[in-house]
Amino acid sequence: MKTANIKLSLFNYALNLGVMGVILIAILRVILLLYADGLYPLASVLSAIAVFLAIIYLRRRFTPVRWFGIGIALALLFTLYPILYTFYLSTTNMKSGHLMTKQQAINQLEDQTYLVEGDQSYGWTAFVNPGGEYALWLMPDEGAGLLAFPGEPLEEVPPGEKGVGELDEDRIPISLEGYERLPQNKTVAIIAQLGEINFGEDPNIVRIRSLREAAPLKQKYQYDSDLDAVVDLETGEIYRPIDGTFTSTEGAELAPGYIVFAGVKNFDSFLGNPGFREPLFQILLWNISFAFWSVALSFALGLVVTLLFEGLPGSRIIRALLIIPWPIPVLISILIWRSMLDPDVGFVAPVLESIFGSSPAWFQDKNWTRIGVIMVNVWLSYPYFYVISAGAIRSIPHEIYDAAVVDGAGPWNKFYHISLPLLLRILMPLLIASFTFNFNNFNVIYIFNFGKPAMPNTVVPMGHTDILISFVYRLAFITTNVTNYGLAAAITVMLFLLIAIMVVFQARFTNLFREVD
Amino acid sequence: MANTLKINQPSWFSYTRRTKWASFTIRYLIALVLILFAVVPALWVVSASFNPAKSLIGGTLFPKNPDLSNYDELLYNDFFPYLTWLGNSIKIASITTVCTVIITCLAGYSLSRFRFKWRQQFMIAILILNIFPPILGMVAIYTTIQQLGLYVSQIGLDSHGGLILIYVAGSMGINVLMVKAYIDTIPTELDESALVDGATPGQTFRHIIFPIMRPIVITIGVLTFIAAYGDFVIARVLLKSSEKLTVMVGIQLFQTDRFDQDFGMITAGAVLAAIPIILIYIPLQRYVIDGLTAGSVKG
Repeated sequence: MKTANIKLSLFNYALNLGVMGVILIAILRVILLLYADGLYPLASVLSAIAVFLAIIYLRRRFTPVRWFGIGIALALLFTLYPILYTFYLSTTNMKSGHLMTKQQAINQLEDQTYLVEGDQSYGWTAFVNPGGEYALWLMPDEGAGLLAFPGEPLEEVPPGEKGVGELDEDRIPISLEGYERLPQNKTVAIIAQLGEINFGEDPNIVRIRSLREAAPLKQKYQYDSDLDAVVDLETGEIYRPIDGTFTSTEGAELAPGYIVFAGVKNFDSFLGNPGFREPLFQILLWNISFAFWSVALSFALGLVVTLLFEGLPGSRIIRALLIIPWPIPVLISILIWRSMLDPDVGFVAPVLESIFGSSPAWFQDKNWTRIGVIMVNVWLSYPYFYVISAGAIRSIPHEIYDAAVVDGAGPWNKFYHISLPLLLRILMPLLIASFTFNFNNFNVIYIFNFGKPAMPNTVVPMGHTDILISFVYRLAFITTNVTNYGLAAAITVMLFLLIAIMVVFQARFTNLFREVD
Repeated sequence: MANTLKINQPSWFSYTRRTKWASFTIRYLIALVLILFAVVPALWVVSASFNPAKSLIGGTLFPKNPDLSNYDELLYNDFFPYLTWLGNSIKIASITTVCTVIITCLAGYSLSRFRFKWRQQFMIAILILNIFPPILGMVAIYTTIQQLGLYVSQIGLDSHGGLILIYVAGSMGINVLMVKAYIDTIPTELDESALVDGATPGQTFRHIIFPIMRPIVITIGVLTFIAAYGDFVIARVLLKSSEKLTVMVGIQLFQTDRFDQDFGMITAGAVLAAIPIILIYIPLQRYVIDGLTAGSVKG
């Protein structure tokens, strides 16, 4: 079929134009905001997506691509971009304290204010309306009082206007229309709440400083783009950028810091430091053996089930019972196992104790936790291997066995010399794919025991059953003291490389890419 | 071993009459052990959920006075909104499924029926991208969603919109190729006759092709639903507030927090959370297995 056959009516074209226009304007708005805040990576990928969508929906030549334009846009943003962004992050210092761009950090610093000390202060009296909104009557040392509402300019209001009642002997209005005057003893209880409110309008903001005093609020920091430095407007101190932190000559640092290029620092921190490298290598070794044994044992069990129950009377019922683990959501299954093995609520410990006199510490002992986690994973995945190996075995022609039997082969020989090699050949791509999957099987590791038991004396918290991806999660999302996205990304980059190697390996065993046409 | 020469012998093992019974006994014994291994955890959690005692189930597989008190507590407790979680999960998984099915079907149709530049490279790119598990991008996905959320809070952190977009993006890859492979098996004469009659490609797809894609649509729909419903880590990373959580994240947090106090409730929660998937799985089992084993056995 030729693309030229496809004719879009004018109406369709106009519809495309309209819908695309709306989407593009929405994207464009976000791009501009991102750009203003210095979030360049995300701004550029969104720009690329916007250009791509505009081209394919407005040029007739690209009609076939229109069918999956939105799909490509999503894949670019949430599949391809995260991979590239991970590589980018691995070369930055992004961690707690350095989570935003320079521009965002400057914006936040410039929002900070301070209360001006000295003569510019007021005495104050608070009024509240039934809606819980406050107003202030501000008394300077000399001159007339000011009426202040949040978000409205300060104003000198003589008694009788705007609902302001008669003044008492302290020149404070007795009443304010719609509001109730708060006596001093009541304001004590709400002073913290009152202190949060900005009275007046930018830039003339007044805040309550103490029970007696209110004072104007001033901007504390200002970024000077010529100096590339932040100036403290209160003290005149200058803070220059050093490694993503504005720092004064005396070494005082301003928070928040921002993201800067850190080169190979992240990689160096775990490759160059033996105290980090060695436990990480332990994690890698365990990661490999966890994936290997999970696949090997699940495959073996699936195969045993296939072979043993083929042709056995009642095998249908047996099989139906054996795939029971399959439909249960993985997370639920792992939680069930965790509870079963728990010494307090589970039944496994009492049973084992009555047989062997003791029961393993499934969650404290490193070896037993590892055995437990592999056992649970085998339970989760053998039904899959059972189903695929049953299918594969049916695809082996019977003639081969018949010929072997003629040559005097027994059941073991038939299995070892015919079934197993053929099955391995057929299923090798799936076994490798399954290895890759289990190499990153976060759920089993994390939900079973959070990667614990903990390794003693490591630079950052690590566990004996942590695999690389659960360690990455620990670094990035378990906020014990410091979350470190840059470091987490650097380790993820290593994971990407490992998986790329596996993929090359897999491509050798399969016509993965040749099959596409 | 002359009797093993029968061509239609279905078994892997060949027997003399004498060893046959011994072999059967051993195989049934092994079957029994394996069945226990498969069934006991599921059985145990169901029974524990009906056990009114709060903890210390001990060795009893069948509680003495089964009742629904755990379920009662689960649905009407003050600590966490279980039903909201369950509703969130079903909502998120359903929307993800509908979007994925629409996007993959359109993409698959185009890849199967149109010939255009970069088509082949495009499919290879899908395969390659699909190899890297989405979980590897979690740090990047988290920060991306956080940054988008600064300007569009509907797809930011702690929003269901962002989560759905990520699920849809993650589930497209291999599904597109499955749909494409399925449409390849539909004769092109069907499309061509429709086009000759003056239908646009859009109409042809809607009225001719889509209706006969039912099996693949069900397969993809079911697999996507199960994956989105069962996801833990992405939802765990992106969602924060209690009333936004999915049931998987909620139940895991709850288990970590209040394991000893409310063990019975947790088991009840686990059973209820598994039910939607089992309800989908049982009638549609064939499609699930087809989908999961697609391409695995080509001989």
